[in-house]
Formats: sequence, C-alpha cells, structure tokens
Amino acid sequence: MKAISEFKEIVPGKKWFETLVTRVFFFFIGMGMQTAYRIDPDVKKEVDSWPETFSFCMSVVGGPSMLMLKKEGSFQYLGEKEVFYADVEMCWKNITFAYLVMTGRISVPNAVYHNRQFVRGSLLYTMSIIRIMNVVQTLLLPNFIARFYIKEVPKLTFKKLVNRAITYVNIGYGAIK
Amino acid sequence: MLFKKNVVIPEYYEFFNSVKIVSGYKALETIPFELSRLGAKRPIIITDKGVAQAGLIKHVVDSFAGTDTVIGAVFDETPQDSSNVVVNQIANVYRAQKCDSIIAVGGGSAIDTAKGVNIVITEDTDDLLKFMGNYRLNKPMKPFIVIPTTAGTGSEVTMVAVIANPEKNVKMVFTSELLLPEIAILDPRMTMSMPPKITAATGMDAFTHSVEAFIGTQKNPISDAFATAAMELIRNNIITAVTDGGNKDVRLAMANAALLAGLAFSNSMVGIVHATAHASGGVCHVPHGIANSILLPYGLEFYIGKSDKSPKTKEYIESLLMHVAGPEVYVQTPPAERAAKSIAVIRSITGELKKLCGLPVRLSEAGVTEDKLEIIAKTALNDGALSFSPVEVSYEEALKILKAAY
Ligand SMILES: [Fe+2]
Repeated sequence: MKAISEFKEIVPGKKWFETLVTRVFFFFIGMGMQTAYRIDPDVKKEVDSWPETFSFCMSVVGGPSMLMLKKEGSFQYLGEKEVFYADVEMCWKNITFAYLVMTGRISVPNAVYHNRQFVRGSLLYTMSIIRIMNVVQTLLLPNFIARFYIKEVPKLTFKKLVNRAITYVNIGYGAIK
Repeated sequence: MLFKKNVVIPEYYEFFNSVKIVSGYKALETIPFELSRLGAKRPIIITDKGVAQAGLIKHVVDSFAGTDTVIGAVFDETPQDSSNVVVNQIANVYRAQKCDSIIAVGGGSAIDTAKGVNIVITEDTDDLLKFMGNYRLNKPMKPFIVIPTTAGTGSEVTMVAVIANPEKNVKMVFTSELLLPEIAILDPRMTMSMPPKITAATGMDAFTHSVEAFIGTQKNPISDAFATAAMELIRNNIITAVTDGGNKDVRLAMANAALLAGLAFSNSMVGIVHATAHASGGVCHVPHGIANSILLPYGLEFYIGKSDKSPKTKEYIESLLMHVAGPEVYVQTPPAERAAKSIAVIRSITGELKKLCGLPVRLSEAGVTEDKLEIIAKTALNDGALSFSPVEVSYEEALKILKAAY
C-alpha cells in the first residue's frame, strides 16, 4: 500500500472554454430579456404580473451566473452580481450541461426532462419565465436554430425580424458599455 | 411488428426515491421497531377527524401495545384544506409533548400537513413562507412515517407538500427530497372503510399518475417498471375495490398500485391531464381524483392530435394498451388502432365506475359551469405540470380540451 503522505488532494481543473461560452450566452440571454421587456408586449405582460421587486437568476453550480431584477417598472440585467437570494433560480448542475445546452447539443426542453438543471425557489413563476425564455430565444436566434432550443417555433413575421434587429443592437450596445 | 419496443433507455435520466416500503397484513405492527431503528421513541400522530372517526387511529395506537414506545400525542384535527396555522399549532403540540418523530395517517391533507410540521420543527421556525418553493430546505429532517388511508395520491412516496396560507392567499408548494418519509406503511385495514366513490376517484388518480408517468417526458426504465405494474394492478382491482370494499386483498393491491404510481410519476412527471385537473380543482373545487378521471381520455386525445409534434408520445399511447387492457386485447388490436383503443378502454373503466358509484365522467357533472372553462384554461397554462408536457399547449388548445370534457 502507498504511504499515507502519498495520498494528495486533487484540485479540480478549469473548464475555461465552456465557462467562457456559457458566460457569453448568459450575457445574450440577459440583454435579450431586458430588451424583450421593452419591445415585446407578451413579455411585458408576463413580467408585469410578477411581484413589485422580483429577482430571477440563472446559474451554474460552482460557475457563472446571470441576475435579472424587476424593480420600479424596469426589468434589468444585472450581470454576474453575487446572489444571496433570488426568488427563482435556474441552476445547471454542471458547467458541461450548461455548455452543451448553450451550444445546442441538448435542447432546453430535453435538459429539463433529463433533470440536468433544477429550479430553486418559487414554482409560481416558472411557467411564466419559460414563456419569456421562449420569446427571447426566438428574438435571438434564426428559426432553424431556435428549433433546437424550444418545443415549438412560432412563425416568422416581419415584426419579429425587426424586433430581432433591435435586440441585436441592444446587445451590441450593452457589450460596448 | 407486433410488439413495439416498450422499454426505452433515455439519453440521460435520474430516478430518486429513498422510502422504505412495508406492505401487508398487520404491517402497522412494525412501526415501533421501525421507529427504534431510526432512534425515535416518542412520535406524534397527525391525522384528520374523518380518519379518527372511522376508528383507524385505533389500529395504529394498538400496534404500539406490548412495546416501550410511547405516543407523544395524537393530533386529529387536521382540516380538509390544511394551512400554515394548523401546521404551527401541531408544531406547538409536538414541542410541548417532547415528541421526536412524526407519523402521518390520512389522505393528502394530513400527509402534507405532517410534511409542513417536519419543516417547521426541523428549521425551528414558525414561518413556512421562507421555505416555500423548490430546494429551499437543507437540514436533515425528523424521522417520518406515512400511513396512507386513501389509495391514490401516492403522497407517501412523493417529495411535494402543498399547504395553504390564508393570510397571504397563496398555496405554498414545497419540494425537496428531504420531505420524503423514511417509511411508508401499507396496511389493508387502513383503506377498507373508504366509501365506493372515493375509492373510485382516488384509484383513478393513481391510474392517471401511472398513465401520465408512462407517456411522460422523463419516463425511464425504472419509472416504467413502476407505472406498468401500477396499471396492471389497477385494471385488475379497481372495479372490485368499489363493489367489494371489504376485500382485503383488493384493498392491498390498490394501495400498492397507488404507491407504485407515486414512485413513477414523482420521477417521470405528469402533464396536460394533471395541469387541467389542478386548474379545475383550483377554480371549481372539483376533487382531484374526479378531475383526473374525467380529463384523462381527453388529455390523451389531445396528445394523439398533436402526434406530428411529438410522434413518440403517440407511440407510448399505443403501447399503453398493453398495460391498461392486458396482452390479449393488445395483440388482437391492429397497431394502427391501438392508440384509440387505449383511450376507449380507459373510457370503459370510467363508464363502469360511473354506473357503480356515480363517478362523474364529464366536468358538467362535477360542478363545473360553462362560464368557468375559460378561467380554468388560463389557470392550467400556469400549472407547473405543463413544463413537462411533450408538446406546447396554447390557451385555445387547453380550452378545447376542457370544452370537450364539459
Ligand atoms: Fe394526482
């Protein structure tokens, strides 16, 4: 047998690439949600139905996160703020799961069915948040890609294209800022 | 191909359940031993008036005779719709009587209340609101035993509790693996006094759990094994349980079926049937089992109608025939007709139950008025069960299902 002193701890490696990609996607989703609240009436209706101050967080266990805050008539993306308490938190169980989903290798509904993520906090708003995410995804992604992410992709309209353009501009603006 | 591949290994799945199950004649008599195994010797028994009046608590109390385990208290005033107020009351009794463990005896309400008491005692709080939602609990809980007196909800093996908060006017939902009891005890004595209509309704709730679990989006080989066993037990026993309630074997079979269905659906999840049933219950107070029983065939028809979006689900409904009707019917039915036949078989079961004990088969017979259908549809869209539906459901579609079932 090995001597006791030969047993060493193993510090976990860093999945820097997966983490970076996830971070970028979190930024896109966050800015997308913030923009969607302003330009999409359905999203506005959903968010307005929530309590006055309401926080929603998407995170990876031990990894990056994004925080959305509804407060005083705005719905803001606050980036990777330290979260002690979010009303609803969607957590990916591992960075690899988040990465596989962000890059479209696992669809979001499938990830939910698989239990690769879990929701911490109130269940009252989960359906509402899922509906918003669906709109945001169609805003961000061309339909043929959105197919991988949501159950049913709505028909593409001119208005949607305009909204998509506005969203990209906003994200670009958010990135420079 | 005569037989479709029924057991499918998903790309990835998780299955969780940690409950020890004791089932059989005189099963209650193991309670003192099981408590001692958990290091407990002074349980509180939580139940409701109905259960106490039916004399069921006596069976539980008697099972302690001849042992040195003292029952700290029996709280038999849990109301039908449990609330945080009652939970706190019970917690006070628990503390005053220096109890060290919890035994829930009853249907969904007593069991959920007991789960709430366990949270309040474990977290040493009087404010359940702070722990509402998914995964808000962290501390290991007090030893907890559940003895169901209905064969339906499967609450004895599920990790959910729903408790009302009348002040804030919210239904607090708690989900955590920590809410699972250590032990579930199925003793036929505990379900024998259930009247025929409740037997039918709760049995159909269990049946719906197994059907929805079998076609559910998180279905996996383990949940399938439990769901199919539950369906077989129910199709062979539900009618006799209604006509011959004193039959111990049948009662024990139904209790096992409900537990198996609970194991299956708490891991594979439910879908459109439960979403619309929850909403009918919330808006028009249709009892849960009755709502499920009415809506089950219409929910399945909806899935078949959407088979272009989710062809798998239709295949599962075809395979369902094997389990809801048995192998003979399955083999005799041409593959193209199997999905429709599954639904026809379910309708013949509910139709029979209607004749035997007046179980409603339409929403209009269950106290729903037509003007409420729209609000029920809206409520259903916000039901968590829908996030596990294999297809997206729109307001119009939900309304169509409800109108068909009206
Ligand atoms: Fe149910």
